[in-house]
This record gives sequence, C-alpha cells and structure tokens, in this order.
Amino acid sequence: MSDPDKVWPTGLTEGEAEEVHRNLIQGTQIFGMIAALAHLLAYIYSPWLK
Amino acid sequence: MIYGKIWCVVKPSTGIPLFLAAVAIGSFAVHVALLTNTTWVKKYLNGNTAVAAQTMPMAPAEAPK
Repeated sequence: MSDPDKVWPTGLTEGEAEEVHRNLIQGTQIFGMIAALAHLLAYIYSPWLK
Repeated sequence: MIYGKIWCVVKPSTGIPLFLAAVAIGSFAVHVALLTNTTWVKKYLNGNTAVAAQTMPMAPAEAPK
C-alpha cells in the first residue's frame, strides 16, 4: 500500500478508492440525517414508543 | 478516510449495490415488522375512514322510482 499509483485488482488506485469511499460516506450521512428527522417526526406525531 | 481502501479489493460495482440493498432490505423489514405487530400504523394509513365509518349515520336507502 505504498505506491499511490498502483492499480489494484478492482481497477482503482488508492486515491480513487478513497474518493469512492468519501462519496459513499457523505451519501450515508445525508441519508442518516433525513432518516433521523423522519424518525423524530414519527416520534412526535405517532404513538410510537408511547 | 478509514476503510477507504476497501475499494481496492472490492469492486464498487459489487460493493455499493450490496451495501445499498442491505440498507434497503433492513429498513424495509423493520417497517414491515412495525406494520404487522402494531395497530396504530395500520390505523394511521387508513386515515379517517375507520372513524368516519363509525360516526357516519347509515345513508338512507334510495327511494323507488
């Protein structure tokens, strides 16, 4: 994992793999925030957990 | 970023759909479980129909012509 230009079996370099991962994490965070908001509304406006 | 190098050994075209499918199936299963094990989700999805059916007086029968 020392050569940053090495092409790995998936056809990606380390930098490209990191870029894919950054986007996946960001998407997960946005999805999580929307889901958290939806759950908050469900908690307030439904008998859930009451 | 931690674990970012996973995409050096797992093809994103395999790993990303797998990840998204896991999230989708997991959350769908939780909501189906809620729907089948509680009464209030069904009631909520029905809206006011249950209440309306109880409180609305029976419609008069149509007069013969």
